[in-house]
Amino acid sequence: MAKLNDNGFEPKIVAFLCRWCSYAGADLAGVSRMTYPANIIPMRVNCSGRVDAGMVMAAFEKGADGVLIGGCHPGDCHYVNGNYKTRRRVILLKRALAEVGVKPQRLHLEWISASEGVKFQRTVTEFTGLIKELGPSPMSGDGED
Amino acid sequence: MEKIRIGIYWAASCGGCDVSLLEIDEQILDVAAKADFVLWPCATDTKYADLRAYKDGSIDIVLFNGAIRTEENREIAKLLRDKAKHLVAYGSCAQMGGVIGLANLSSRKEIFTTLFGAKTHWPKEESIQDGYPLHLPAFLDRLLPLGDVVEVDYVIPGCPPPREMVSQFFDALLGGKLPEKGAVFAAEKNLCDECPRERREERITRIVRPHEIESDPEICLLDQGIICMGPATRGGCGAACPMANMPCTGCAGPTANITDQGATMLNTIASLIGTGLEGEEELEAEEAILAEIDDVIGTFYRFSLAASIFKGAQRE
Ligand code: SF4
Ligand code: SF4
Ligand code: SF4
Ligand code: FES
Repeated sequence: MAKLNDNGFEPKIVAFLCRWCSYAGADLAGVSRMTYPANIIPMRVNCSGRVDAGMVMAAFEKGADGVLIGGCHPGDCHYVNGNYKTRRRVILLKRALAEVGVKPQRLHLEWISASEGVKFQRTVTEFTGLIKELGPSPMSGDGED
Repeated sequence: MEKIRIGIYWAASCGGCDVSLLEIDEQILDVAAKADFVLWPCATDTKYADLRAYKDGSIDIVLFNGAIRTEENREIAKLLRDKAKHLVAYGSCAQMGGVIGLANLSSRKEIFTTLFGAKTHWPKEESIQDGYPLHLPAFLDRLLPLGDVVEVDYVIPGCPPPREMVSQFFDALLGGKLPEKGAVFAAEKNLCDECPRERREERITRIVRPHEIESDPEICLLDQGIICMGPATRGGCGAACPMANMPCTGCAGPTANITDQGATMLNTIASLIGTGLEGEEELEAEEAILAEIDDVIGTFYRFSLAASIFKGAQRE
């Protein structure tokens, strides 16, 4: 996985986090005083299934260098299949991003439960490192993929 | 009674929109009786100098087809905005960039290289041809919908606008009953609402092209695995394509409550794909089904890329 590289670039990362799992996981990481990069802008959503393609595109349009979606593990979604819908959207979204010249790795989906503070910390750290290596997004105005 | 002064203009256009105006059958006689065409480059010879000489606001309504691809398109769009009381985006290209908006996936450099080869062969904006100076309008980096350049009062969507919508517009114009600014001369609801096919909301386990199966004419095309843009597209054409056994490709643009037609369709397809068993072990199967769409942007943004959140390729 990408190591943190210090090229001085501080990416903006929008994280759509399901309130039942990943958002709670982030909370747990916080109260457990785990440190993770301050680059993420958390957005609480009611379910990862609530994150539609337009929201992801809008995040990139408004300057995100990376977008992280955190949802409940398979079988755990409070709305039965919201996480699966999002998983399929992410497949198509990554292809759409690639076709318009944005690296698909800038979009990442991860299942993180409420008890997985450590996984939250690791995911955010690794993803931030990856986006730092990729540099600014071409959609944010100054990058080139 | 004073005649209504109509202008028709084509910018980056294929000419289909101009022809579509003639599809209103005998209503054209009514139009001819009540209106004068003061500008119609496709049919009459009007010079830009004549157009510039018109007083501001002196053309009652301008139907503008085609997208903004060159500096000339942009300049004339601004000029027509000044001269016209009402400006109408006529057709998909003017409304949202249209099919030719897909050119935004390529940079100006890539387009010119494909067309003309090495840079030395590219046409120059200023040159001398046969002893005379020739000025060519600059080719913009990106193709733009009309609304990105000037304020648009009405939209008549479609590629080209179908007879029903054009007819509805002329009825309103000739009857002196133009709606409030911002109106779109089409249905409010989506295409599925007027499509007679039975929608079963089946899960899609296989995506096919129309020629690959013998589809059932009574059942929704999406149910049969054919990608039909109906759910994300404004009705008004009478579901012309599904009625002819072809899927809707979205030419009428999105309904009013949709901001990005392609994103909405992408969500719809993502919801319908799969066996319905869901679960981690289905991932591969879902990926395989979705892999059958070999051109995501071209499928979901056939007409609307230039007006979408992406607008085009993100590099230069
Ligand atoms: S909307 Fe369709 S018919 Fe009209 S100019 Fe564009 S491509 Fe041609
Ligand atoms: S998806 Fe297409 S075929 Fe199905 S109901 Fe809608 S318009 Fe008709
Ligand atoms: S069915 Fe769709 S693509 Fe065909 S004319 Fe109607 S809106 Fe356009
Ligand atoms: S409730 Fe957490 S992903 Fe649906």
